[in-house]
Amino acid sequence: MTTPVLEIRNLHARIEEREILKGVNLIIPPGQVHAIMGRNGSGKSTLSYVLAGKEDYEVTEGEILLNGENILEMEPDERAAAGLFLAFQYPIEIPGVATMTFLKAAINAQRKARGEDELKTPDFMRMVKEAGAQLNVDSEMLKRPLNVGFSGGEKKRAEIMQMALLKPSLAVLDETDSGLDIDALQVVSKGVNALRDGQRSMLVITHYQRLLNHIVPDVVHVFSDGRIVESGDKDLALQLEAKGYADFDGQAA
Amino acid sequence: MRANFPVRLGPAEESLIAQLKAAGATQAAERITVAGLPTRRVESYHYTDLKTLLRSIPPLATAANEASAPALRIPGAYTLMIANGVIQNASTAPAGVIVGKADGGVLTTRDDVMVHVNNALANSALTLTLENTVDPVIQVERRVEGEAAHVADALKIFVADNATTTIIETFSGSDAAHVGNHATYLALGKNAVVTHITVDLSARAATHFATNEYHLADGAKLRTLVIHLGAGLSRTNVFPTMGGADAHADITGLNLVSDGQHADITMETHHAVPHTSSQPLFKSISRGRSKAIVQGKLVVARDAQKTDAKFMHQGLMLSDEAEILSKPELEIYADDVVCGHGSTCGKLDEDSLFYLLSRGIPKAEAETMLVRGFIAELLDPVEDSELNEALQGIVDGWLLGGK
Ligand SMILES: Nc1ncnc2c1ncn2[C@@H]1O[C@H](COP(=O)(O)OP(=O)(O)O)[C@@H](O)[C@H]1O
Ligand SMILES: [Mg+2]
Repeated sequence: MTTPVLEIRNLHARIEEREILKGVNLIIPPGQVHAIMGRNGSGKSTLSYVLAGKEDYEVTEGEILLNGENILEMEPDERAAAGLFLAFQYPIEIPGVATMTFLKAAINAQRKARGEDELKTPDFMRMVKEAGAQLNVDSEMLKRPLNVGFSGGEKKRAEIMQMALLKPSLAVLDETDSGLDIDALQVVSKGVNALRDGQRSMLVITHYQRLLNHIVPDVVHVFSDGRIVESGDKDLALQLEAKGYADFDGQAA
Repeated sequence: MRANFPVRLGPAEESLIAQLKAAGATQAAERITVAGLPTRRVESYHYTDLKTLLRSIPPLATAANEASAPALRIPGAYTLMIANGVIQNASTAPAGVIVGKADGGVLTTRDDVMVHVNNALANSALTLTLENTVDPVIQVERRVEGEAAHVADALKIFVADNATTTIIETFSGSDAAHVGNHATYLALGKNAVVTHITVDLSARAATHFATNEYHLADGAKLRTLVIHLGAGLSRTNVFPTMGGADAHADITGLNLVSDGQHADITMETHHAVPHTSSQPLFKSISRGRSKAIVQGKLVVARDAQKTDAKFMHQGLMLSDEAEILSKPELEIYADDVVCGHGSTCGKLDEDSLFYLLSRGIPKAEAETMLVRGFIAELLDPVEDSELNEALQGIVDGWLLGGK
């Protein structure tokens, strides 16, 4: 059996003494796209932050394996270098940090961590231009400080552009569809689909089934109260849309 | 009312009084004899209690045999040097710049010990008259060489109507417990556009006092930037007078303090006539056990209607023992004005840091990026690219060097 890109075993995590994740189990083989759907407050973003290694959360039980390697002891930057990418539900605005400076630092840090040479500036510029063109991220946006003054849609497109540049083996997309109109949704989905290459895996977190018409998942999981309570194929998303989340509440996986 | 009984004078005050008397500055000597150096009870020195902080005053500087190269090199700049208070011979000045000498005492008298002492002890002043726009950056480096010395020096700059210029002053010296007291008087003619930057690069053992006084005529535009990062104890007084309609000043400053340092920027801006504006923006970054202070006072004269001025101080604390203090004051005698003040203080934003880390940027590098980002608002407006780079280099050196 090939090693899964992501394997989560009985993951429990809490924040400020409150348990949010209550035993998450999930396996994503190479190349697959899995969707997680769940109502607001069920712990989806928490799962994404715990994967990425945000300090505020304490993992009390369980394991996270990325390409077979336990990443729980790794710092967030080490996880990124190991191939994890999180597209934030709410990308952070950072005044004073130029977008280009940030992109170059991120790409080169990851290359360095993997023992590769730094990118030469012309190569970097070309890469950014290409990725930007795909996602309607124009040079005007790139001149601004990181995410500052970006509209909701621009922020999400910029996140996917970063993903295209950083080429992770696992991308976690947290509500990348929220705040997008239908045109923007199509641009973003196209960008995401372009990165499906049979190897790269994705975990697509969403609240609405709509996104999954554009990014068609291999597996859909229903998330409720800190755990996966049901898994199925893409039709499960349609069922959810029709029946609502209530039917799945209190169910055990 | 003066107290009937004399204050107890410490060794710093005794030396200072002797030096002032020897220089014939009886009045200044008398003031210190009676009142001593300012303590925390003196409002404008509330956070910088000189009586406690200034333990001794070294002997007055004697002329230096040799002066080192400037502490900061700015490619393409026209550089002048004052070493131990003595104006050094300079290379040929760029067109439109007249370099001269005048008597000391360039500052307008006011109730401030740094001003009194400088006016009393600075024998001569370097004068710069800028007759028209000057392209090269003008740098004035003031150094204190040799054994620990007390030095007072002065610079007087006139910028003609409609002229544009960028002037940077750097302060540096040998690694000794110098006390520098530096004065700059800068007058901007009508519609003159001036960037004036002062950077303290003195040794940690030194004490750096500076007073920057500005007068702006109609339509003049001033950008100032004070950077404190060298001396163990530093205080810069920034005293702009908005004296002509449509004058505008961006008054900015940056305290960078590490363990054991104390830095104070005290601003008092006078809006003297109607229709002037100022935007004072200060930032402090402190790490280790250190103290950074910004006092900002906006004074609006009775007939200075339509004054628009907002003071802001933002602090960034990189350690738990660091202290950042803010004291805004408004003294407004006009009724139709927009004036305000604000201050914020905090640590590096955790969410921003996590965002950068999550992209693979290691923690130290991410922190540096955020600190640079915090400062960018002050450095970005410095348009000359060589100068901008030099300043960025100084800040980076501070960020990467120690704690
Ligand atoms: N910093 C925090 N402190 C305390 N509780 C939190 C914090 N962040 C999130 N929570 C709680 O954790 C639960 C899950 O939140 P979240 O993971 O954001 O859900 P979702 O993304 O599914 O909407 C919510 O009840 C939320 O209130
Ligand atoms: Mg969420």
